[in-house]
Amino acid sequence: MIASNKLALVRKAVLWSVLLVFAVIQLFPLVWLVNFSLASSNEMFTTGLLIIPRQLRWDNYEKAFVSGNFMAYFTNSMIVNVLAVALVLTLSVMLAFAITRMRWKLSGMVRNIILLGMMIPIHATLLPNYVIYDRLRLTDTLFALLIPYVAFSLPLGLFLTCGFMSSIPKEIEEASLIDGCGIYRMLVTIITPMLRNALVTVSIMTFLNNWNEFMMASTYLRSARWKTLPFSVLEFTGLYSSNYAIHFAVMALSAAPVVILYIILNRHITKGVALGAVKG
Amino acid sequence: MRKIKKMLALTLATMMLLSAFAGLASAETVIKVFSNLPDRTTGQGFVEQQLFDAYMEANPDVRIEVEALQDEPYKIKFSAYAQGTEMPDLLMVWGMPGFLDEVIDAGLLAALPPDLGDELGFIPGTLDGFSKNGALYGLARNTDVMAFYYNQKMFDDNGWAVPTTYEELLALGETIAAAGIMPVSMAGGDKWPLGIYLTDLLVKIGGPGVNGRLYDAVANKDFNTPEFLQAAALMREAAVRGLFQIGFETADYGTAKNLFTNGQAAMFYMGGWEMSMATDPDIDPEIRDNIRMFIMPVVEGGVGVATDIAAWNGGGYGVSANGAQREEAIKLLTFMFHPEGWNKIAWENGVTMTAQDFSAYGTGEETPVQVEFTLAFTSATSVSGTPIIDMGTANFKNVSEDAMQEVAIGVLTPEAFVQKLADGCR
Repeated sequence: MIASNKLALVRKAVLWSVLLVFAVIQLFPLVWLVNFSLASSNEMFTTGLLIIPRQLRWDNYEKAFVSGNFMAYFTNSMIVNVLAVALVLTLSVMLAFAITRMRWKLSGMVRNIILLGMMIPIHATLLPNYVIYDRLRLTDTLFALLIPYVAFSLPLGLFLTCGFMSSIPKEIEEASLIDGCGIYRMLVTIITPMLRNALVTVSIMTFLNNWNEFMMASTYLRSARWKTLPFSVLEFTGLYSSNYAIHFAVMALSAAPVVILYIILNRHITKGVALGAVKG
Repeated sequence: MRKIKKMLALTLATMMLLSAFAGLASAETVIKVFSNLPDRTTGQGFVEQQLFDAYMEANPDVRIEVEALQDEPYKIKFSAYAQGTEMPDLLMVWGMPGFLDEVIDAGLLAALPPDLGDELGFIPGTLDGFSKNGALYGLARNTDVMAFYYNQKMFDDNGWAVPTTYEELLALGETIAAAGIMPVSMAGGDKWPLGIYLTDLLVKIGGPGVNGRLYDAVANKDFNTPEFLQAAALMREAAVRGLFQIGFETADYGTAKNLFTNGQAAMFYMGGWEMSMATDPDIDPEIRDNIRMFIMPVVEGGVGVATDIAAWNGGGYGVSANGAQREEAIKLLTFMFHPEGWNKIAWENGVTMTAQDFSAYGTGEETPVQVEFTLAFTSATSVSGTPIIDMGTANFKNVSEDAMQEVAIGVLTPEAFVQKLADGCR
């Protein structure tokens, strides 16, 4: 009895220490980010892993907030990302339903074509897209960001929702139809809530990818009207070298909303990825 | 009734005409500027913004819209603009064949008045990189001189002397390394500093005529000369004998600079634009006040003398040929480079050496390193012109930069190195 108790204790200790190591590895970048954001640029390239600043430089945050146009870019980022997530979710659910539940000749092909989008590198589309937007007079507008953000997030969104949707028993849909529910109502009130875990995963992945995106934003936007948060970092980038401490402050500020979102939705994400991945 | 209608029509027409004129009168001219200086509060970005603000104040009907991106995103966006219809009016351009030739051949830049450079007091030769087939396409904003920054106090305290030959430099590196300090902080991860290092060595090996031979080598796709082989071998020797810090091939610009400004490295190989380190409040005064420079020392057996230096005119401005405000942009450009403009502000703020005669703006408060750079440039017997990596196409730049890094770390032999350069021209 005592021996088995001891064994359980050892097992627990090993498990905890392994998990602790992983936790430290995962959390270290964030600690490092905050630590460096409170130092001065010149203290950064010391030999130690972390810095003990001679003086806590809160003014880095002040500069990041004021000179980095933080609020304006943050608002733009929120608008673009919320719209992109909403569109990706709507399109993913509708497409997944059409592909997994409706019978039509080209459903498999349509699905594969959209999934192929995962293999297209963003850089390859930059210039052709710019030419198209230029012709359509869409450069420097909200759509210049929204269209590619939705397009690049949709394949993954569709992949996960399709996987989830095929795991929902058809009998539930049949029952709702017998009870007089229409297709749209069934999709909104019955199917979508059951896809919750998948949708949360799709949301956070879309949000994360687009939140940090800079290459397309810098190519398709010109004025400050729709510039997003990554531009804040740029405001402190000199010709050859930059004010790294303020970069860290801007990055800490930019990362905060995503980290908070991740903490709130964390529970659903692992479920979403694990379940969606095995049902293809 | 008809009369009333006529009256109404006339009144409306008059009102429309008036409002149209009013619209014309109040229409402001918007000049779009595309710059590679995103930080508008320090360095060259600060000088640029000051000039734009002054221009808008002098011309209330003009509004200047600046779009600024860092070099790499800048180049991508430049390509995008080139294919679209919304090219900004005033553009930052690099006065180097690798960039400018393609831009001029594509008809993207407007020819500037041929005498503009002389009228604005540009130092003869500084606009060569911005000219093609006898026409002028841009104005240079700075003169770049490559040098070794060093910490004079550290040198004095340890009894180290500024080397006068390359062998002395390598020996000094070994002495410094033995004292537990990094000898030269080199941004080898960015690759181009190594390309300039090689150009510097070529100047010292080949002397004043080396610039022409570099052009010929790129044009003939043949680098297999004793000059190139020796320069590559000397660069490799520097790495082998520990002149550069450990891991120099992965160090980026900021890392390399900070190793020096933190006192971890005794020297820093970089261009004159970093002279503003001497006024940077973020750098410890003990280091900041002791920053000095010396030019690449002579190579034993080389033709080049101490006053043959690696210097060129890199960044500058051009005017878009298809922009909506071509004439206005030329006016703005002329304003920026009038004698009291860029030249004066940049020099007085210790930001960079300009391409115009800045001797008139001496304040007596220049930092020692600023004075040393001026002396090095004004007493130069020859300058290298465009560094080798920027002499060919964009592809040549990529290939040659990789080759510089590879030969420095010993992946390529000097023979394989010259072959790779030749392949890069194809």
